[in-house]
Amino acid sequence: MRRLLFKFSILFSVFCFLFSALPGCAKKEGMAKKTITVWHWMTDREPAFQELASRYEAETGIKINFELYAPSDAYSQKVRAAAQGANLPDVFGILDTKKDFASFVKAGYVLNLASYMQENNNSWKNSFFDKALAVSEFSEGNSYGVLPGIYGVPIDIMTIQMVYNKNLFKQLGLDSKKPPSTFQELIDMGKLIKSAHLVGMVSGWGEVWMIDCFANNYAFNIMGKDKVIATIKGLVPYTDPDWIKVLGLFKDMQDAGILSDGMIAMVNKTAEQLFATEKSVFAFNGSWCVNVYKGMNPDLDYGVILPPKASENFPMAIWGGAGSSFMVNAKSENKEEAVKFLRWFTNSNQQAYLSEVTNNLPANKECLNKIPEVLAQFAKSIEYATHPNVWDVSEFPTVIEALDKGIQSIIIGEKTPQQVAFEVQKIKERELAKKR
Amino acid sequence: MKSPIYYKTKKITLNVLIHLFLISVAVSCLFPLVWMIFASFKTQDTIFKDAALIPKVFHFENYYLAWVKGGFGRYFLNSIFYTVSVVIGIVIISSLAAYAFSRLQFPGKNLLFVMFLVAMMIPIPGSFVALYILLNKLHLRNTPAGYILCMINVGLSTSIFLLKTFFDKMPKELEDAARIDGCTKFGIWWHVALPLSKPVLAVVVIFNALNVWNEYILALIIFDSKGFMPLQVALQTFQGEFVTNYPLLMAGLTITVLPIVLVYLFMQKYIIKGVMQGAVVG
Repeated sequence: MRRLLFKFSILFSVFCFLFSALPGCAKKEGMAKKTITVWHWMTDREPAFQELASRYEAETGIKINFELYAPSDAYSQKVRAAAQGANLPDVFGILDTKKDFASFVKAGYVLNLASYMQENNNSWKNSFFDKALAVSEFSEGNSYGVLPGIYGVPIDIMTIQMVYNKNLFKQLGLDSKKPPSTFQELIDMGKLIKSAHLVGMVSGWGEVWMIDCFANNYAFNIMGKDKVIATIKGLVPYTDPDWIKVLGLFKDMQDAGILSDGMIAMVNKTAEQLFATEKSVFAFNGSWCVNVYKGMNPDLDYGVILPPKASENFPMAIWGGAGSSFMVNAKSENKEEAVKFLRWFTNSNQQAYLSEVTNNLPANKECLNKIPEVLAQFAKSIEYATHPNVWDVSEFPTVIEALDKGIQSIIIGEKTPQQVAFEVQKIKERELAKKR
Repeated sequence: MKSPIYYKTKKITLNVLIHLFLISVAVSCLFPLVWMIFASFKTQDTIFKDAALIPKVFHFENYYLAWVKGGFGRYFLNSIFYTVSVVIGIVIISSLAAYAFSRLQFPGKNLLFVMFLVAMMIPIPGSFVALYILLNKLHLRNTPAGYILCMINVGLSTSIFLLKTFFDKMPKELEDAARIDGCTKFGIWWHVALPLSKPVLAVVVIFNALNVWNEYILALIIFDSKGFMPLQVALQTFQGEFVTNYPLLMAGLTITVLPIVLVYLFMQKYIIKGVMQGAVVG
């Protein structure tokens, strides 16, 4: 019996290896039809992508093979490994920072699309929001040392703003058509919210990048873009009164009862759930929330606003730009066909379809009139959008971390804005000294 | 001298406290599982709006939808195939290697064993890119054989360590008796060492089966074709970057958990014995 079992194990193992090797051999067959392979990480868009792929195949006879891999961090590793193994597909997305994106370009993996974009009087280029294109664009003399050009095609955009619950506004005796437009108005609402035992604002500030985003919005509003960039360059210290004012806003919000309890440990999924179930009046969230809220509570009635401005000196800025972009593999045999497909894919009809099905903001500005109102509200503010990826300079990660954690300390009353500013500046100086 | 009633009361109180503690631990361990099962019968809407554990209406169709939408049929077979192949591979190789490390004398034995132990310290994500390039050069990337070989490699170190610890404690007289009966070294491994190590083998089987069954990041990196992906990857279908389809995800998770629970129940007797014997000490 044991002998039989042993023989079976050996046979099974041999069978396994033979069986498992077969599909690898079979793959090389059946490649007669031209196929463009696309890698992306947003698995929730798969049905929409597949539908568009079949439409394209019906029109041109070229098969589009969408391969979607999630979660995004595993996808990132896959793309990096594929680049090193020279196995990148015809079209792919890069999820990392602009610095990483630049390294892909410099290694020759990404096709410069500038000449394609400029054909027919820039018709393709002009169909996109400028801010959407900027994320994949490298200008003359950029700090990354990349040849100037456009290295990606945006397929959607996103903006991060504030949303408010219209029903809770009515419950508080407020006019739902008049959301707060100044920071003081927001603070004043805190007392009302507190007395009604409601939650003020929720956001995923447990994920520190969202605090960074909120702080940067107000930094742009209080001191302007040039001074923010000068701070990153080390020309203005974080102990500057304007930066202390920015940090002080978090203390003001906390003191006024605007911020939800446990905000600094809150992940965005929890924040989304609280807002969708009508437990909080405000949320600070990205345009992707439209799809999320729709799934959680289809009857939710809410509006979109820019974070209420704290100063009249400079316009409010929000983070936004390309949500995700496609890059063409410069080493692919199918690169010309891939570009043709992307041109078709970002045409206003396809973009309207994608937006309708996935509830994301289209990158093509020509189809804005075809999308739902709440999405259009998010899209309209794209003119205020900025993003660290388009600043051409980047802050040291240790400084960003110190700033974000410092803000968390201010919220829990552990430190004052002045203390945090001093500590952040100390780290900044240390990093600058290391760089020198 | 205290009265017997005092001792009896003390014993009962202590027992009650211990049981209350154990019940609370058991409840906190089981609650997520129970919540997952009940949530799998809810709708996306009611998961967020209805805080009650038991849904008012049971949506059994979630299981059908999860199976069809997630393409569970193909992925399920793939996962079973990978798990069985890897576990068989690990059991055969690690038991042979552990027996050799424990009983045979050869040059560099200790160094080799230390190298296996060091391999236990390297987390698998740390070697993704290197593995990818290696498999690519061997033309094994995007093939189940490549994945199976990697997963066997992942499980070998711990399994060899567990089995060697057991073989070290095995009485040498048993082997002497087998040798007198005419057994070769291979025969002793097969007729004496392996049957005696059943409890440890059960631990090796369950640990590695769990590891392979739950693995998906390596699969995601080395496979391009969806047809080769394991079951865990199918679960990602319901979990997008921003939107998660919770009812289908919970139904999918329930389906995914079932086989491994069955394996555990089937081998429970041996696993407990293996753990009690100190198989996992160290």
